[in-house]
Amino acid sequence: MTPAPSKQTEMDQDSQPSEVAAKAVLLEECEEQFGLLQKLQNEIILADTEANDDQSNEAVNRLIAVTSELEQWQEMEPKLLTTSPDVLLAVGKEELQRLNSQLKMVLSCSQAKLDAQEKILKREQTWQAEKKEALNAVCEKITRLQRENEKSEHSVLQDMKRKINNLKDYHSSLMEMLSDMLAEHFPLPDPQGNGTKKKRAAAYDAEINLISLSEIIERLTNKTLETSHDPYVTTDDTFWPPYTEMLLRNGIATRHPEDCNKIRLENFF
Amino acid sequence: MALLTPYSKVPELNTATVLLVENEEELQSKLANAIVQYEKDFNVNVRLARKLPLPVENKETRPRIDLIVFIVNLLSERSLQSVESSLAHLHSDCFLGKVCFLVTDARCGSHTQERLVSVRKLAASHQCPVLCAEHRTAEGVNAAAVRLLNILKVTAGMSPIATTALYLSSLTRCSVTSDLDED
Repeated sequence: MTPAPSKQTEMDQDSQPSEVAAKAVLLEECEEQFGLLQKLQNEIILADTEANDDQSNEAVNRLIAVTSELEQWQEMEPKLLTTSPDVLLAVGKEELQRLNSQLKMVLSCSQAKLDAQEKILKREQTWQAEKKEALNAVCEKITRLQRENEKSEHSVLQDMKRKINNLKDYHSSLMEMLSDMLAEHFPLPDPQGNGTKKKRAAAYDAEINLISLSEIIERLTNKTLETSHDPYVTTDDTFWPPYTEMLLRNGIATRHPEDCNKIRLENFF
Repeated sequence: MALLTPYSKVPELNTATVLLVENEEELQSKLANAIVQYEKDFNVNVRLARKLPLPVENKETRPRIDLIVFIVNLLSERSLQSVESSLAHLHSDCFLGKVCFLVTDARCGSHTQERLVSVRKLAASHQCPVLCAEHRTAEGVNAAAVRLLNILKVTAGMSPIATTALYLSSLTRCSVTSDLDED
């Protein structure tokens, strides 16, 4: 037991002088600095009393102060506080520990900021995606509507053409049916005498070249359509009288009020 | 007119002095207690005042003041007015980093928002920082005390890495954003 404490006391006695020496060195330096400070302070007081403050612009003041500080920092060279290693060690350890804790704080703070920013980024990205989808949908709708508009102009023309064609077909079919029906039910009277006695007698009276009912109707309609100021067709012997009588009686044709040989197509609405 | 000058006295060893100027004297004492409690490494002198100019009688015994904090209570109009009148008694060199504005009750209504804007404009014109503090709870007072201590350390020259008061004030000065930037 006894050797250990004695060794410790030896070591303590050894370190004490170095501690004391280090402290003395530091105190000397402090005294030096304090002397410098006093000198500077006196200079400042002198300068203050000389140049009475003229309340110049604050910004100008600030500018002067910052530039002079900058010059000072540029001139200054870094120097060690003291050359004694113990002092340096102790001071360095303390400084590094403090720096360590401060940097940890900074790290956690910036980490938290980063997380917050990432959240914001994600939210903004989803928002942007939604807006893009909406934009796409609207664009599609616009193009569809535009196409429909163009097509409608074109299609009106096509519709008209189609309608015209249909009407033409219908017209031609009607004409065909009309001519078939007329040919079937209203044939020219047969000169050989297959029909009734009345017809035979009439046929003998007329000339051979009778025109068919379809021919009569055609002449009537052409006269009405082409020369509508004079729609009258003169009936002559080529018109078979029973047919003209039939047309007249059924209201398809009417006589000219003054001339009984003229007929025209009745107005139809 | 006796102006409060920043560098007319020699600083004391290992001490820093902060002057709290408040018209209502609500937060001053609480903040002073909190500041003194928190700082163990060096001595802190806290001096309280209602407004500037400081009484002439104490001029010789008063130490050099490192930081002047103007406490503005946004709920009363007079607070801001007294601060504005006190600013006239300050030497213009003081604004190079030795002045700070502390604002309380910044969340309590619509009038406070307008006054906050005017305080910020005032601070921005002198390029000083603005701190917001909550004085009703102990934690708010402690938080404000810690922040003030940080600034005090720099202005008293206790910050070892080359941070000067001027530099810090340039970093932390209040900037007034235009109306378009406010959200």
